[in-house]
This record gives sequence, C-alpha cells and structure tokens, in this order.
Amino acid sequence: MVERLQARGIRFAYAPGQLVLDGVDLDLSRGELVSLVGPNGSGKSTLLRCLAGLAAPLSGTVELDGQSLPSMSPQERALRVAVVPQLLPSLYDVLVEDFVLGGRYARIDRWAGPKASDREALERGLAACDALDCRGRAMSELSGGQRQRVVVARAVAQEAPVLLVDEPTTSLDPEHQVSIFELLARLACDGRIVLVVTHELNLAAQFSAAMAVLHGGKLVARGSVDAMMRSEVLTPVYGERLHFGRMDDGRPFVVPRARLLRRSQG
Amino acid sequence: MTRRDVALALGYGIALGVLAVLSMLLGSSSLDAQQLFGGLGAMLGLAEPLERNAQAIVELRVWRAICTLGVGASLALSGGMIQGMFRNALASPSLIGVTGGASLGAAFAILALGGYAPRLVLEGSGGLEAFAIPFCSFVMALATTALVATIASARGRASVTTLLLVGIAVNMCVAGVFAAIQYLTLEEWEVSRAILAWTFGTLDDRKGLHCATVLLALALATLSIPFVARELDLLKGGEEDAESLGVDVARTKRIALVSASLSASAAVAVAGQIGFVGLVVPHLIRLCGAGSYRRLLWHSLPVGALFLLGADVLQRFLLGDGALQPGVMMSLVGGPFFLFLLIRSRREVSTW
Repeated sequence: MVERLQARGIRFAYAPGQLVLDGVDLDLSRGELVSLVGPNGSGKSTLLRCLAGLAAPLSGTVELDGQSLPSMSPQERALRVAVVPQLLPSLYDVLVEDFVLGGRYARIDRWAGPKASDREALERGLAACDALDCRGRAMSELSGGQRQRVVVARAVAQEAPVLLVDEPTTSLDPEHQVSIFELLARLACDGRIVLVVTHELNLAAQFSAAMAVLHGGKLVARGSVDAMMRSEVLTPVYGERLHFGRMDDGRPFVVPRARLLRRSQG
Repeated sequence: MTRRDVALALGYGIALGVLAVLSMLLGSSSLDAQQLFGGLGAMLGLAEPLERNAQAIVELRVWRAICTLGVGASLALSGGMIQGMFRNALASPSLIGVTGGASLGAAFAILALGGYAPRLVLEGSGGLEAFAIPFCSFVMALATTALVATIASARGRASVTTLLLVGIAVNMCVAGVFAAIQYLTLEEWEVSRAILAWTFGTLDDRKGLHCATVLLALALATLSIPFVARELDLLKGGEEDAESLGVDVARTKRIALVSASLSASAAVAVAGQIGFVGLVVPHLIRLCGAGSYRRLLWHSLPVGALFLLGADVLQRFLLGDGALQPGVMMSLVGGPFFLFLLIRSRREVSTW
C-alpha cells in the first residue's frame, strides 16, 4: 500500500530562463483529496505533469514512498500513478470499452490479451463512475458529462494508488461538476492519493481534505479548507474582486464580484 | 481468434487465390489454365516443365502476381503504421521520404547504367539492370527516411510535427535533385525515358529476387505488428496520454518508423511509385468498421494485396494490351477516391 507522494524543490522551465515552477514542495497522503488551485498560468498543470513523471523537472525529486518516480519506466509508473488529462482529442473511432481498457495497458500481456481481471476492472471503473450505459458506444458520441466520467473510469480501471486529475469539470454543468467531485472524494476515501487541479474553488472547498495554492510557480499556501478560503490567502493570488461568504451550514464560499457599470448619459 | 476471424481469413484467402489466378491468365500472349497449372507445378518441382517459351511466360506471370500481392500488402501496412504514428489519417509513407528517396536512387542507378527500357529485361538480357535499380532505390529510400528521422530527433525526442516538417523539407530537396537529373538528361533519350518510365511504376518483368526482397521486408514489418498495434491505439489520445498509461512512446515510434520505411522502401524500390495504396487502404478498412490498429494493421495485409491486384486485373481486363502502368492506374483510381474521402471527412480535416 502506498502512503505518501513527496515532491521536493521542483523547478521546471519550458524555455531556458523562464521558470514555470520555482522550488515547489508538496506532500500528498493516502485517503486525502487535495485540490491544487491558482490562477491561469500559475503552473498547476505543469506541477501535475511533473508529479506524474510526464515532465522532467530541472531539479527536485518526486518520490512515492521513497522511490523516485521519474526514474521508473512508463510501465512501472502507470502501475502506480493514473492521470486524468484535461484535454483529449475527439477519438472518433474509439469505443468506450476499448478506451477504458487502455487503462489496463501496463497490466495486459502483449500476447495473451485482456484477462478476466481486466474485464472486471473495466466493469468496476465504469460502475464507479456511473458510466455503464456508455460502454458500447464510441467516444465521440458521448456528451461532455459522459465523456468526462468515462475518462475518470479509465483512471479508476488503471487501479493505481495515485490519481492525478487535471481540471475535470471544465465545460460541465453544476450537477455533473458535483458528481465528478463526489466521485474523486470517494476514490480518495477508498485509500488513494488524489490530487485535483481545478478552478472551482467552491467545489474544492466542499470536497477536499486540503487545498494547495500555487502562484507564479511557487506554492504560496497549503492547509485545511477553512485556512485557505480566506481573503488573506486568496486575494494576493486572485486579486481584489473576490467576495467571501459562508453558506447556511457555515462552509466558506467565494464568488467573483463584478464592478458595477454606470450607463453613460448621452 | 473468433469464428468471424477464421471466416474472414478464409474469405481473404479465396479472394486472393482467385484474383491471383485471374491475373496470371491475363496477358498479351494467351495462356490457358492447364498450361498455367502445369507451369506452376514445374516451378515447384512437381511436374515436367512446359516448352521453353510457355514455361518462361508462366514464370514471369507468377512472379508478377506474387510481386503485386507483396507490394500491395507492404504499402498498405506501411501506410497504416505511418498514419498511426502521425496520428493523422492523411499521412502516407511518402511523407517521411520513402518515395522521394527511391526515385532518386533509381535515377542514380539509371544514370550509372546509361539507360534502361522496362520491357527489355526479359530472359537473356536480364542481369545487372534488373536488380541494380531496385537495389539503389531501396538503399536511397532507407537512407532518406533515416536522414529525416535523424534530423527530426537531433534534439532529443522526435516530435511528430518536427518529423513531418523535416519530411517535407527533405522531400523538397530530393525532388529538386531528381528534377535536375531529369532536366540535365533531357537530351539523352534512353536515360530520360528510363527515368520517366520508372516514375510510372511497373509490375512487369519482376523476378524471384524482386519478390524475395518485397516479401522479406514485408515479413519483418509484419512481425512488428504485435509490438505497435495496441500502442498506436493508445497514441490516438496523444503521446503524453499514452505515456501515462505505460506506453514507451519513443520505442513505439522507432519500431513503427523502421517497419513502415523498410516495407514501403522495398515495395517502391521493386515496383516504382505506386501512390495511394498506403493512403487509401487503411481508410477502406476504417470505413468497414475496423478502426482500431489491432485490427487495422492485420487487415491491411490482405486488403492491400487485394486492392492492388484487383485494380491491376481490372485495368488489364478493360484495357488489354494497352494497359497502363500501376502508378498511373493508381493515381487515376486513387485521386478521385481520396477526394471523396476528404469531402466525406471534412470535419476531421478542418480540425487538422
């Protein structure tokens, strides 16, 4: 059982001299849903790619219970870390079933093909994401909500102890947004390490055990939801336009406040 | 293998057999079925050879049919792999320099030999030129793709976009040299005619060694299918996505590139420029519902063979002795077909 994913001193640049991540430390533990928030361009997705071993940092380490992730082969990594990507192409001739079985690639023998255990993982993944009704269809036929559930189902079928999720709720309606976050929280409760990159501060606040705030390539704050959903933490990061409040059960929320426009008299 | 696969394999086998026999019976000198099978038996050492002339005709036609099958299958498989690697259904082996390199190699060989007429290589005159030209174009095709791959991967990992751009640039250079050779030899009738004839492609006068070259390269490429098919399917979601699932992306691209260029180079070297087979056949298979590379790559072997052999039989049946060369015929059939595909899949093209 994997207990801890540890990143230390991650520095990353796409072009020389332009650091996207500048010395990020992050600890993730089993059973916790952690949300990584921050404005556009703060380096969230890049950090996720580094944690997944998909991007090689200039310096710093990513270790899973003391084992270095970047030095593993793709197959070894895939057994440990599942990624839900933000964007996938339309995949117009890919069946949902084949797509989800793709999550089993690292476990399926090249010559023997999928075994019963892989079929079961496929079923479990689709069932966990409430997507069993999609299984016979092509990926391109799915609605945005169904598609997102199927992409998460693939990561579930991968049965990796670490789940890294990049903006899973873009283009989803509120109902589906909540259901995706519920699912991620449940997956964390089952004993996984789950990190979700998101712009949905309020969903993150309601479902996460902890939040981490990235700004300008640095991790500026990390802590409980109550400690993070404060003006002292978020205003320096997102600017002055945030309005902070409490729901009737006392949980914090934040909404962007529009400046009132005065109609010009003419 | 399911029962459906067995039935399909059987169907492919029968169709290939029938077309191959038809193709061997068609030709400028008449040959009946009895002579054909007698001559075939003699080639296999089962019967007495026919009289010299008839036996020679049978042998030529057998090699021609085998060569056509091998070339069709090679180009189709190579096209399927290249499309998978480029994640683009409009890619074909010529993108990475196979065709351009082969043309240049053939032109060099023709220059060195001082001319070559495609119909003069019947028995007796055989020998050097029959093999020098395919050999040179094979080597040049491989060298060109190797050059494209090396330049594209000069800074670590080769991105598919870089590979595409380098391919275009190298193709342009190669085409320039080829055009220069054509222009400079314009006055030398034998040479310029031979170069021009080569660009049309030919399936006539093929010999055992030609077939062996194509089939050997095809066999090697076929052996690589199990090592790339599932990987190419996962690459549809992008390289990073595939890697996160455990695919060794660099290795997959390397194997696909080597297999595809090997089989396509051998095919083009032996038969000349035959466009569209590599582009169209994978599409045909997709249209029939086998969109996953685990199925597509296997199907591309018999479908590619049937496509080229079928088109060849059809045009020889329709045009008789005035038959066009395969390159011309493929462009005439393939061009409109490709346009049809483009119009049909306009949505995908617009998201290129």
